[in-house]
Amino acid sequence: MTQLSLSPNDIDLTDPEIFETNQAHEVFRMLRREAPVHWNAENEVMRGFWNVTKYADVIAISRNPELYISSHGITQMEPVIKNPMDEVMQGFGKMLITTDPPRHVRLRRLVNKGFTPRAVGAMEIHIRDIVTRILDDIEKKPGVDFVTEVAALLPLAVICEMMGCPRSDWNLMFDLTNKVLGGGDPEYQTDVPEAERGTVEAARQTITSGSMQMFQYWANFIQAHRKDWKDDLVGLLIEAELDGDKLNDEDILWFAFLLIVAGNETTRNAISGGMLALHENPAEKQKVLDNPALLSSTAVEEILRWTSPVAHMARVATRDTELRGQQIKEGQRVVMWYGSVNRDEDVFADPYRFDVTRAPNDHLAFGIGEHFCLGAGFARLELKVIFEELFRRFPDIHVDGDVQRLRSTFIGGIKHLPVTYTSA
Amino acid sequence: MKVTVDHDLCEGNMKCQAAAPEVFEVRDDDLAYVLVDEVPDELRTNVENAVRLCPRQAVRWQKEQK
Ligand code: HEM
Repeated sequence: MTQLSLSPNDIDLTDPEIFETNQAHEVFRMLRREAPVHWNAENEVMRGFWNVTKYADVIAISRNPELYISSHGITQMEPVIKNPMDEVMQGFGKMLITTDPPRHVRLRRLVNKGFTPRAVGAMEIHIRDIVTRILDDIEKKPGVDFVTEVAALLPLAVICEMMGCPRSDWNLMFDLTNKVLGGGDPEYQTDVPEAERGTVEAARQTITSGSMQMFQYWANFIQAHRKDWKDDLVGLLIEAELDGDKLNDEDILWFAFLLIVAGNETTRNAISGGMLALHENPAEKQKVLDNPALLSSTAVEEILRWTSPVAHMARVATRDTELRGQQIKEGQRVVMWYGSVNRDEDVFADPYRFDVTRAPNDHLAFGIGEHFCLGAGFARLELKVIFEELFRRFPDIHVDGDVQRLRSTFIGGIKHLPVTYTSA
Repeated sequence: MKVTVDHDLCEGNMKCQAAAPEVFEVRDDDLAYVLVDEVPDELRTNVENAVRLCPRQAVRWQKEQK
């Protein structure tokens, strides 16, 4: 492991090694203290951008979606050599998450009634059934890879069922999500010759090929749906009208793409990261075992704060402005580091302590404002139910082997987490 | 001071009602409604919290008309 230099001048947060080796929190702590709005200099591949690490600044940016827009890039990645395909592949202005108001508001209102806390709450029994099936499948085994056999399966099932995607295709969705969101990790670069894996080009190829396959799949799916309408989310989108017009195939395609990608890996990593945090803090795990009601009151929120599965989202400034004394120029990117703001000493008491009874806990793991996570209710419910059932059935479940983290600056991910357990 | 809820943004997250139940009510349509014309002084801090905690930033103080 390389020793990180902890001076703002040397920090380059495009380096996935910082995240893969779990050193990001050290960097963030230093940046919050010494350079809370920090210019990340351009390197050979990526243009420069602002690292925003304080809670109050992320709130200020999110409150102003006209000044800080989402339609010109939502990640730190702005390649020095522009490839026109990149903008197409990233769906600038096409998806909910890459659209600005006023269109964003109208697009979101097509679907948001299905995602309110009340609507989601009605799904609890069904989600518990899915969890029961997942845990039935591991019951007889002495141990499993918690990520692939537990954490990944729940969000995959929930989102695929919502979309109407048949069970026989869930594995494909799992693989494609890994490529689209985790394409920077050599493990998922299976379409690239082995000798070339691990490079920036391999990442770009993997993300492109994963996205293309995802588009193809959903294009066919929508076609079939138009002939044989079904009452699922894709069906709803086919019927929906935006300002008197029906959505076209491309609009629906991007909706499907976003939901599959946004709903999967994020929740998976909150579940895996929560398992790891509870294992590493046995006294906190004991509190949850003794009082499972903590899950619905405070523990799930602490898992979300602690894991912050979306490492960052970005915005582009539409005019020259100022943030905490720094001059932000029109066209520059500001990158909001959720893992940092969720450990901001000005907001959270003792922020480096994992505390399942923490209150208040106004973390920003789901962002805030215009683009606040549409699936937050689902993610919260999935986390609550899976830990309730896990600890009821396998109270002694614990990590038993090496944790493998994802090589990514975007998703705070865990790829593999061996666990062992016995049935209660 | 007056407070408003932007119904284009509101998604019934209940944070405002939890922070200031005397001022906000989330109804069956999953939208929050403001129950008072003027926010009384003693409830200002609670409403301030509602403004701060709304995940959609839909709760806002109304700017004074000059
Ligand atoms: C723990 C799990 C999750 C985390 C940490 C998470 C995080 C986030 C964050 C930070 C954003 C804000 C993006 C921005 O401000 O630019 C977001 C947006 C979004 N999330 Fe999630 N998410 C999770 C689960 C889900 C699930 C389960 C779904 C779908 C069922 C989902 C669907 C979406 C969608 C559609 C958006 C875009 C909303 C918009 O632009 O209006 N997410 N999520």
